[in-house]
Amino acid sequence: MKIYIDAGTTWTKILKTENDKKEYSIIPTKDLKSLNLKYDKCTGHSLSKDKNIYENEVVALANGAKKYLEDDFIALDLGSRDIKYVQYQNKKFKDMDWNASCASATGATIEMLLKFYNVDVKNLKYNPQKYSVTCGIFGLEKIMDDIAQGVSAETAISKFIHGIAFNAYNFAKNPSKICISGGFCENLCFIESLKQYCEVIPLGRFVLVDGLMANDIKTN
Amino acid sequence: MQELSQTDNINKNIIAFWGYPQKALINEYKTKYPKAKWVDLDIDYKYPDLKFTPDAYCTIIKNICNNAFYLKDRIITVLAPIGKDKCDSAYFISEILKNEGFNVVQCIFEDKCPDISKIKLPISKSNLPLKEKVEIITKNIYEQKDYSYLKETKPSFGFWGVPPNDLDILNLFPNNTELFGWIRAIEAGYPGDWEIETYVDENLPTVFFTQAFCSKTTLAKYLANKYQGLYIDIDAIPSNSAKAKIEAFLKLR
Repeated sequence: MKIYIDAGTTWTKILKTENDKKEYSIIPTKDLKSLNLKYDKCTGHSLSKDKNIYENEVVALANGAKKYLEDDFIALDLGSRDIKYVQYQNKKFKDMDWNASCASATGATIEMLLKFYNVDVKNLKYNPQKYSVTCGIFGLEKIMDDIAQGVSAETAISKFIHGIAFNAYNFAKNPSKICISGGFCENLCFIESLKQYCEVIPLGRFVLVDGLMANDIKTN
Repeated sequence: MQELSQTDNINKNIIAFWGYPQKALINEYKTKYPKAKWVDLDIDYKYPDLKFTPDAYCTIIKNICNNAFYLKDRIITVLAPIGKDKCDSAYFISEILKNEGFNVVQCIFEDKCPDISKIKLPISKSNLPLKEKVEIITKNIYEQKDYSYLKETKPSFGFWGVPPNDLDILNLFPNNTELFGWIRAIEAGYPGDWEIETYVDENLPTVFFTQAFCSKTTLAKYLANKYQGLYIDIDAIPSNSAKAKIEAFLKLR
């Protein structure tokens, strides 16, 4: 059996493979240590970078989304605390960026907002209005102002998420096609918001572990 | 201010400089003060941060201030390039240092290379570790040793820019990384030559580096876009994400 893990700030994605059978799972990263899991390859913010088994997150993203990258999609991963993208041209690497300096407009903020206002992510609907979240902290202020004036928390958070989607689109330099990786794939309000700007394919939360596996197979 | 002779004050034993003062000027001061220690003020020696500049300011200029004031009692003269070979900030700092009682010799080294095809770059093109290349080139401003014996290697990557404040970032690159930008212009002996500074091998994946808050950021970004390289600006110490970005670029290209 081979085990690949992507230990993000909040969630750890795990892929176990044996005889062509794949088993995916997700656990809170805070529980990872207690599992004493022995893994073959890993990536993610929450692990020590043992160069024998650790893979750079952008490289894992590129390997996991290779098929789409070669079809001229931008691969964008929006995580709990960071955002990164890779772009290929003519089936070769062209561009990338990675912003891990500010987590005020990423997944962890959305999770906190949902908990704080007791809102279920499934109840969020695309809203054509958006807050500017160039700085997420200012975006949070707008949510509070709107809610104080009687706007529902669902509506306010939806506008914030639209702002994050617009921000992600700008961060990736306004591409025509984006394949998206990470927890935001399950946030339909985000996906619908992003679709206002470009073609979107959600790839799910396991792109990076798939990338680890693909590279492992290639190098062995 | 009158310069002190070498015997005037036993504590004054440093010729300080930044950037690349002309060889003639360096040699003049080597002859005048043969026993003086040469100190490159651009480098971070971890002296106390005097908060002399605003917080959001070029780290290299911060280093110049911190180093100069920490070593003030030992500095004989500061050789201060202030032209296009350095930057406007250096001009202002040189004037401020004068006001603060330093003996400052301002200089401008904007000579154009008459024939760029004839410049010799044994260090930039060698197989030495990138950090060592940069250290040798900057030391060689005053040491002036001959490195023509170094063998040229086929490069796989390029590094464009100035010597980073934290040179350890250079350990991320393979040895066969060729130097471009201002550091290459230094080795060539023409620190203010636009053509040398902006030249890169367009077939080589290149990281375009500048210190944050340096006016070269615009040039680095422009060249990175033009040559599809990676633009990166770093303040004092590189963040993990900056390191990871370089690492990913080197692996994916």
